[in-house]
Amino acid sequence: MTDLGFRYDTGHPVPGPPNTNLADILERVLDKGIVIAGDIKIDLLDIELLTIRLRLFVASVDTAKKAGIDWWETDPALSSRAARSALQEENRELRTRLEALESGFRDTVSADA
Amino acid sequence: MTEDGPEAPGTTALYVYAVCRADGGPVLDGVSGVARDEPLRTLPLGSLTAIVQTVRAAEFTDEAWQERLTDEPELERYARAHHEVVSVVAAQAPTVPLPLATLYTAEDRARLVLGNESARFHTALERIAHHAEWGVKVYAAGSPGEDDGGTARRPGTPGTPEGRDRPAPGAGRAYLERRRTLRARRERRREDSLRVAETVDTQVCRLAKASRRLRPHGPGTADGHRPQVLNATYLVADHRSAELEVVVKDLRERTGAEIELSGPWVPYSFVGEV
Repeated sequence: MTDLGFRYDTGHPVPGPPNTNLADILERVLDKGIVIAGDIKIDLLDIELLTIRLRLFVASVDTAKKAGIDWWETDPALSSRAARSALQEENRELRTRLEALESGFRDTVSADA
Repeated sequence: MTEDGPEAPGTTALYVYAVCRADGGPVLDGVSGVARDEPLRTLPLGSLTAIVQTVRAAEFTDEAWQERLTDEPELERYARAHHEVVSVVAAQAPTVPLPLATLYTAEDRARLVLGNESARFHTALERIAHHAEWGVKVYAAGSPGEDDGGTARRPGTPGTPEGRDRPAPGAGRAYLERRRTLRARRERRREDSLRVAETVDTQVCRLAKASRRLRPHGPGTADGHRPQVLNATYLVADHRSAELEVVVKDLRERTGAEIELSGPWVPYSFVGEV
């Protein structure tokens, strides 16, 4: 950090929260500000911000799991394949049983007729 | 003085951070910006002044930025350096920030393009004078582990998919039941949180000049692991900032929700649409 010569002079009367986190800064310096066309085309659009967040998210899934947060498990896009295949399995089985029952029922009906 | 210094034309570019009024020529001592070769300086634009820096063009191409976006510490350094310059200038005079990485091939190009936008800059400066931006975030209620209660994990409940070739009869129904209960509870909590979010937004809007909704941060960002239900930002007059803090404190007590207030920020979110 220091080798690049950036200075964070915390004593400066800077308007800006003292402990600003990166996401707060990025959503302002990337997304906002008055947009004036530059000569050098640089594509730093929203999608990039999403990518960063997604990456941060992926990195901390384990930590979040430990904290008991599991909302993504109900998200179809993120839910575990295991749960879905178990449901499919059971569906298949129920369908088979239903068929068996229905054919048995039909047999009964035809026998009565 | 275009392309001064030992560099050949085309090897440098001009990075523009922000624009303020010409009468408030800011002091830039001790701030280095995104590059270290050349100091920050001002570029006169008639009634306005731009805060600029000559940088090596090769380090500021689109490719270089795309690379940087995948390198978080690197991206953070640039974002914070940009933010620092903007903040230092704004501490001295009303300032309109430009987004990260607005670059021109030469000084006269910057002067021409920025000069043509002077009406927009003046409108934005008028709008934000004596105002600051304040961020308000509301987090969803509900403590971790709460979902374990009720029917969620009865011992001996069949249907755990792992390690079974065939679930026991009724496993699917029990499983669905569990999911449904969980979903209903989550849904209720989410609705409660969203209601709190709306209340907070309405109250804060009353003392703000303008407001913007930002994208809520996903769990796992630096904000921690709590789902955000509101990430909004407000343009508030300087003389009302104490009032804002009181309102937020009151909302915290009244709703019991976790509400985070951040600021004062340079009004990044309120200069774009003019």
